[in-house]
Amino acid sequence: MTAAVEFLSVSRHFGPVKAVDGVDLTIAEGSFFAMLGPSGSGKTTCLRLISGFEKPTGGTIRIFGEDVSNTPPHLRNVNTVFQDYALFPHMNVRDNVAYGLMVKGMGRAQRHAKAEEMLALVKLDAYGDRKPAQLSGGQRQRVALARALVNEPRVLLLDEPLGALDLKLREAMQDELKALQKRLGLTFVFVTHDQHEALSMADSLAVFNEGKIAQIGTPQDIYDRPATRFVADFVGSSNVLPPDLTRALGGPAEWASLRPEATRLSATGPVSGPVKALRYLGSGTRVVIDAHGTEIAALVPAGQPVPAEGTTTAFAFEPSALHLMGTK
Amino acid sequence: MSSSPAILPAKGPADRLTALFWRHPRVLLAILLTPPLLWLGVVYLGSLAALLLQSFYSIDEFSGVVKEEFTLKTYAELLRPSNFDILLRTVLMAAAVTLACAALAFPIAYYAARYAKGHWKAAFYLGVMLPLWSSYLVKVYAWKLILAKEGIIGWAAEQTHTSWIIDGLLSIPGMEGSSLSTSPLGTFMVFVYIWLPYMILPMQASLERVPNSMLEASADLGASRGQTFRTVILPLALPGVIAGSIFTFSLTLGDYIIPQIIGNSANFIGMAVYQLQGTAGNIPLAAAFAVVPILIMLIYLAIARRMGAFDAL
Amino acid sequence: MLSDRSPLSLRAAAIGGLLFLHLPILLIFLYAFTTEERSFQFPPPGLTTQWFGVAWNDRPDIWPPLWLSLKVATIATAIALVLGTLVAAAMTRTAFFGRDQISLLILLPIALPGVITGMALRSAFGVMDIPFSVWTIVLGHATFCIVIVYNNAVARLRRLSGGIMEASADLGANAFQTFRHVLLPNMGSALLAGGMLAFALSFDEVIVTIFTAGSGTESKTLPIWMLDELIRPRQRPVTNVVAIVVFAATLLPILAAYYLTRGGSETAGMGK
Repeated sequence: MTAAVEFLSVSRHFGPVKAVDGVDLTIAEGSFFAMLGPSGSGKTTCLRLISGFEKPTGGTIRIFGEDVSNTPPHLRNVNTVFQDYALFPHMNVRDNVAYGLMVKGMGRAQRHAKAEEMLALVKLDAYGDRKPAQLSGGQRQRVALARALVNEPRVLLLDEPLGALDLKLREAMQDELKALQKRLGLTFVFVTHDQHEALSMADSLAVFNEGKIAQIGTPQDIYDRPATRFVADFVGSSNVLPPDLTRALGGPAEWASLRPEATRLSATGPVSGPVKALRYLGSGTRVVIDAHGTEIAALVPAGQPVPAEGTTTAFAFEPSALHLMGTK
Repeated sequence: MSSSPAILPAKGPADRLTALFWRHPRVLLAILLTPPLLWLGVVYLGSLAALLLQSFYSIDEFSGVVKEEFTLKTYAELLRPSNFDILLRTVLMAAAVTLACAALAFPIAYYAARYAKGHWKAAFYLGVMLPLWSSYLVKVYAWKLILAKEGIIGWAAEQTHTSWIIDGLLSIPGMEGSSLSTSPLGTFMVFVYIWLPYMILPMQASLERVPNSMLEASADLGASRGQTFRTVILPLALPGVIAGSIFTFSLTLGDYIIPQIIGNSANFIGMAVYQLQGTAGNIPLAAAFAVVPILIMLIYLAIARRMGAFDAL
Repeated sequence: MLSDRSPLSLRAAAIGGLLFLHLPILLIFLYAFTTEERSFQFPPPGLTTQWFGVAWNDRPDIWPPLWLSLKVATIATAIALVLGTLVAAAMTRTAFFGRDQISLLILLPIALPGVITGMALRSAFGVMDIPFSVWTIVLGHATFCIVIVYNNAVARLRRLSGGIMEASADLGANAFQTFRHVLLPNMGSALLAGGMLAFALSFDEVIVTIFTAGSGTESKTLPIWMLDELIRPRQRPVTNVVAIVVFAATLLPILAAYYLTRGGSETAGMGK
């Protein structure tokens, strides 16, 4: 597979602020790639570097093998779904969608036909004559999607596109976006701060922290084998074990992560502690144990006995479930 | 779908220019700024420089010809009693007008900011905005009609047998005149009328920033209406008052139409400038007179900035 | 608790203040119908509509100043529209060196008293031996009209989400297409409002104009004509008729500008 987007030690510094700092990245063609990280971690700047609204202060960006250092946004065959949608308020929905075709010089009848086709794809066929202000948030989001897709971009960039939607709509749109990407076979680059969204939608993802990529891999990789404490902490709800606790549990003196699903309660074990909190999840109960000052969560499947808060218990796990992350 | 290129070719000069702007944003900035800066820089700053230059020239007393040599003689002339009187009179008038405007503007601004809602609010806004923008000369003319001896005020005073009040006012030393229209009092009234909207708007803007909850907090803490007004509203309205006073003060300092049409023809700075450059042909002294309001306003603005008035503009 | 109803005295003072601002102008209308042409006698001894006919038919001295004022205001507004929009576009971009100085420079022509602007231009024309003409008047008017257009344009640009310009470029539009299809349609009403306010300001201006117009009759604008009539009155009601025309010519643009920009924080008119 060819690389749709490549970053070769790309940096974007704003004075002393290193928004993006020496990032290397390869996004495979046809993949659904997520950039995940807290706000200010550099993920949105990376997206804007691909679209051309930011210029790198160092390094090289390639889109389908071509260096885009000298290519302004309007000549890059990539399109963006903006966070606030950025629909043109003075145009109706059809003209919004047809905008990219119009500026490329396509005739009125033809571009309107294409726009309608695209509106049908996002299930807004009947809305062509409305103004953006007359649409709901979810509908605007679909218009923004149609407006980008109608140009048949080589890469579609999505900047927190679901951030403004309520939970239920967000989940529905996640499925729809994923299905759409599969159907079109298009490369999607998706920026989000929501780890569940990233893990459930992406084929592969990069976790950003302080302008650098902390880890890059498949959702499975990142969830099961976080490379750093930051990743373990930010992605999912893994237990992060300090070196002395890892050693007390029979491992080397290294930081380690341990997923709650792989942790079970046991009568005896090398480390025990009082139950601090219980949370009923339906499919089971999450039990938090205070193990020498570190909180360890274990998942007790439904139907099994749950200890009362305050009682002391030990815990156990398969040695293979303990993922080591080095001494730092 | 994936057959289209990742980089589109530039089609025509518009695309290439856009690329240039993207690569060098300063080029676009320069293109945008050059015409207006040339205009303002050359026409306006150039003119101010010419004004300053002329004020350092002098006029030959015998031939009446401008001597183009640097001298402070012309500025020294400003301190001659007859000229200094003009400066003093103008500054006093500007101060009096500013105070009167502030007093008159407050109830309007306060009512509009605190109580007027919906349509009333729009009506108040327009009610201030329209007189602000409507023709200056027409407004001055309207007051010529009002203040004339045979005009509406004289008529109303006669009907109510209160002419003695006007006569009394007109006999106060310094206010003398055959009617309000030829008395300094008339000049003052017209100044206040014309510049009042310039005081109301910034005052209202700064009062609108006082949240009602703050007034309620003050009332809750047991403050009387008067105390709330003095300790909460007035300090918070002050930046707006100062912002408005910049307008009323500056506009009064420079005006030469109103004292020319209404009043006793006592000279003001603006009139001195107008007459000196025109009939007297003494451009250096006219320029020196014109520099005075600039200096006064610079000092005024420096004080106002320190008191935070610019946030209310 | 504070009541939401205003004290009667405050309401009376506020409404009284507004009446104080408006009633004098009404007298202009009344006096246009008086039969007394030599004094400002109140109440008018009789009412007549003859002065409108006199102004229209028997006073050829009104027309050249009217045309001149229209011409000057039109040219000055056109120049101010171009220059004001350019600065506004430059100023909404990211910070650059000298930004604050430029905003001060734009404001200066209306921040300083008109007599200074007038005297400064007069000095410059003198120093450079430029003869007075229509163009010297336009020069002054355009200078103080720039800020009016600028204020309106900048307010709208600030409200406009920056995203739509990026969206336009993202969709393949070059800078000129973005200007034509996105920026101009969204700026249109603000520029129209700014242009109308600039027109009203120029049409009515007298303080600067006197310094830049020279003394010939061919450079007499309508406000200068009015000023002459105020100082040396003849057929006073005719002056009132002209005053009504001038009043309308300044009132209608500001009303239109208000309705064009209503509903934002940018409502036109602040900072004349």
